[in-house]
Amino acid sequence: MTTVIIVNADDQQPAIREILESVVDDGETVYFLRLPAIRCLGSLIQELNPMCNYDVEYTIDCLPEGYDVTDLVRFAMDVDATRICIGITDRTLTGKVQIDDLTQSILLHESISGDFVVGNHAIILEELEYDS
Amino acid sequence: MLRIEFRIDLAGVLSRLFTVDERIESAEIDNALPVAGDSVFLFLSAQFGSSISDERLSEQLPDIRIVDITQADVAQHTYYLRVLADVSDASVLSLLTENLAIPHRIVGKDATLDIVASVRDWNHLKEVASSIEAEHGSLELIGTTQTEGMGFPLGSNKIKHSMSGKLSEEQLEVLETAYQMGYFKVPQEVTAEEIASELDISRSTLSARLRRVEHNFCALLFGPQE
Repeated sequence: MTTVIIVNADDQQPAIREILESVVDDGETVYFLRLPAIRCLGSLIQELNPMCNYDVEYTIDCLPEGYDVTDLVRFAMDVDATRICIGITDRTLTGKVQIDDLTQSILLHESISGDFVVGNHAIILEELEYDS
Repeated sequence: MLRIEFRIDLAGVLSRLFTVDERIESAEIDNALPVAGDSVFLFLSAQFGSSISDERLSEQLPDIRIVDITQADVAQHTYYLRVLADVSDASVLSLLTENLAIPHRIVGKDATLDIVASVRDWNHLKEVASSIEAEHGSLELIGTTQTEGMGFPLGSNKIKHSMSGKLSEEQLEVLETAYQMGYFKVPQEVTAEEIASELDISRSTLSARLRRVEHNFCALLFGPQE
């Protein structure tokens, strides 16, 4: 099992903690995929240290400047991700999870499908299947 | 099950309402019933900026048959319209139901239609979005949440309709003033004395009227007392 965690804001600790504690399984491979606007994951990783407590292998990657959703989907396909997790950045007045442009592009992308789960701090797209 | 909120450009019968000369704040489809042929009987709520008349509206909307207009008791310049329209005038509603999604709210405001609907899952969301994009151009997803069931279709204004005629003018005035002044907020933004003073009534009268309002609400929800 492989999980891609999209880091789309600097304050994603609650989302990442939720994903690591209750979504990913022991021994899983986790890819932190940061958007170019997020400069550094140092403080985030430090706060979550020791990562080994979660018993996952992780790597950090970055989407290129001027990326589009196809780059992201291609990355997920390349690493054969079974899950993509996206931190929830905001909620609407009626309590719904606010969907940003990137999340909308993933949700409506024709090449990717699966199960859609809304957590407390993260959106989890799992059981992913790809149409190439 | 997913409840989704999305936005498209204003279209159909609600966009026609926004073309009338009288300023309109918002309009919502409360209910829809099929009629033989290509027509649909629509129940709408519309909040105008001023008073309107049946004749004036009919003049400006020649393609839509206005069956009835009623002014709401509870909010100034809110009108309930029953209209007979072509099914294409409610295309977003048709697209949702054709795709077996449940529409909960369809609200026109500020040149956009805000729609809340339930879909089964991610694939269903994609089907619905694709069908709406094909007909209406782009679609903006606003929010989503997970729900246990599909919920009830439309009719969020039902409580307003149901309360119509069940509260006296004095009770409505007390309720609206208390609401507008922030009496029901937590923490309260105004005291009972301040509301009583605003309405030029005693505090005990205010209290009695508010209790009667609450009693009527409870009677509507739970039926008569045993």
